[in-house]
Amino acid sequence: MATDTTLGVATGRVPHPEEGFELTGPGTTPGLLVRELWASRRLIGVLARKDFLVRYRRTSLGLIWAVVLPAVQAIVLAVVFSHVIGATHRLGGVSGGPTTAYGVFIFAAMVPWSFFNAALAAGSTSVVDGTGLARRIYFPRVVLPLVAVGTAVYPLVITAIILLGMEGILGPEPGVRTLWMIPGAVLVIALAVALSAFISAAHVYIRDLRYAVQAALLMLFYITPVIYPADRLPLSIRHVVMALPTAGPVELFRRSIGAADQQWWKYVVGSLVWLVVVGLAGFVLHCRRDRVLTDRL
Amino acid sequence: MTATISLADVSKRYIKYDDTAVMARLWSRTNRSWLWALRDIGFDVQPGESVGILGRNGAGKSTLLSMLCGVTAPSSGRIRVRGRVAPLISVGVGFHPEMTGRENVYVNGTILGLSRREIDQRFDSIVEFAEIEKFIDTPVKFYSSGMFVRLGFAAAVASQPDVLLVDEVLAVGDLPFQIRCFERMNEIREQGSTIVVVTHNLGAVRGFCDRGIVLRDGRLVFDGQTFDAVSAYHNILGELSADEPGAEAQDTQAGRITSVEVLDVSRRPSAHFRVGDTMIMRIGVEALRDIDEPFVWLGINTVSGVAAYSDANVREPFPRLRAGEKAVYEVQTQLQLTTGSYSVEAALRYATGPGVSALVGRCAPENFYVTGRGFVHGVADLSGQFVVGTG
Repeated sequence: MATDTTLGVATGRVPHPEEGFELTGPGTTPGLLVRELWASRRLIGVLARKDFLVRYRRTSLGLIWAVVLPAVQAIVLAVVFSHVIGATHRLGGVSGGPTTAYGVFIFAAMVPWSFFNAALAAGSTSVVDGTGLARRIYFPRVVLPLVAVGTAVYPLVITAIILLGMEGILGPEPGVRTLWMIPGAVLVIALAVALSAFISAAHVYIRDLRYAVQAALLMLFYITPVIYPADRLPLSIRHVVMALPTAGPVELFRRSIGAADQQWWKYVVGSLVWLVVVGLAGFVLHCRRDRVLTDRL
Repeated sequence: MTATISLADVSKRYIKYDDTAVMARLWSRTNRSWLWALRDIGFDVQPGESVGILGRNGAGKSTLLSMLCGVTAPSSGRIRVRGRVAPLISVGVGFHPEMTGRENVYVNGTILGLSRREIDQRFDSIVEFAEIEKFIDTPVKFYSSGMFVRLGFAAAVASQPDVLLVDEVLAVGDLPFQIRCFERMNEIREQGSTIVVVTHNLGAVRGFCDRGIVLRDGRLVFDGQTFDAVSAYHNILGELSADEPGAEAQDTQAGRITSVEVLDVSRRPSAHFRVGDTMIMRIGVEALRDIDEPFVWLGINTVSGVAAYSDANVREPFPRLRAGEKAVYEVQTQLQLTTGSYSVEAALRYATGPGVSALVGRCAPENFYVTGRGFVHGVADLSGQFVVGTG
């Protein structure tokens, strides 16, 4: 049938037997969702890259802005804390141990935090915001939060490189422990994907989530040990902080400069629990509502 | 042959909340209601078929098209689509104004499921078809709307879809491009793809589709030959037409139309006229009550639904009709029209005051064909005289 037209003339047209769909209800099977998601992997990359590049299109400096903005933050932190205030943080929390510039200490935590903040702000509303595209053509709806998170990965890489430069200038010198950034980055990306996927689907039904997420991010910034060391907290509060989704990646990045809490792995376990629970919930929600998510827009 | 599109008992309902506050939604289920967009729709479409979907606004056409795209699922029933779907509703979907034509073609192609290599292979033919060689590296925000649609159409059909879904998009773009679009769609169809067209342009449906499906209030009311489908659609339009003065006032108890005939000048039934011919619309009526000032409204529309002419003898009404009295009215028109299909319809009305009237009855539209003079285009043939002027 592939090469036969209605006129019986060979055309060499390639059919797409692997494509197409059968719909009987609002959901899709987990296996099918995974297969379709895998088929959409290039789409996610292309859209994320487009969204990142388009931001700087009309500017005369273009992509330089993507570097300048985090660099300014790094410089301000370095000048204010290292030179104006002169604060240092004792590495490993041991008194008398080696110290690190407080600016580097904060910036190391800002790398995963800024990513998480940007990814979640865009990701949690991505399905509703992506209506224009999603209503006209089908792809798994979870592609939309993935694109939002993917777009934020570009600045994550840029800030991580700036952090390395900062370490080179202000110390501690980058070394093997710097590699702790990698699990830190993987964990924060995975968390952003899980939370965005779940919230973006729930947001279709509960529009309050757009503002609830903003409020939660604002709170998280202060209760996650980003601008202060975790080991300065009283033990009871530290247990609460360990239960936060964001504390794990922050501690892993701190560990890359050798300044993590001694019990850093407990924060990581807290984040992993969030990752598994919310990730599963998001997956189930998308499986059950994938084909009707754009109905309520 | 296996059907490319197959729908079985497909229904779709949307939930309509009067109050969207989450608390109100949680506590009470009384303030929500169902909105049935489609009810029990079933049909199959074979490869190589082209189907026109007709229906008034709100009949369920868009919902049906969304389902064929796969972006929404039926509330009950089953829908199956085989192969790659390219929705032309999405002409230029994902096009970003700040990006160049080239970049947009790559993003758009990816959205439609093409690999990078496939886009590379087709890139030149896309640009050629869209006729934008000079502008391909210009941001699309500088494109004219015609260029935008041309590029979008070219990119969409380049994905070699098994199912092409066409919305009103073809109304955009100039005539030569529209013709090329239809030629391209014909090629695609001859290669075995299925095409579904949703449009109010009945001329396009008649010229392009071999089958018509008519929806009304979410239900399938007709499925068959295009010509009959257009008539069925006209019947629906006839039941509730808004292009007539005072259409809201109805008094169907006053009388009824008993017969309608379309006649030529020798009073023989006819559906084929030449430009300038006299057409006689003969309407038999029966009064059920006394009607003081009965008059007839007549309207002639082109196949695309454009009103070519409408008139009524509201200022010189027919003589008074007594209850039970029958009468035959005739409206003579001179068909100064161009080549094409038209429909004529008539209504019996009576004046209820200055400028207001009530509708008594209305007949189903009758179709007829006019053979016009060559080279004349438009709706009306105003018989232009081309002479050499003096002085």
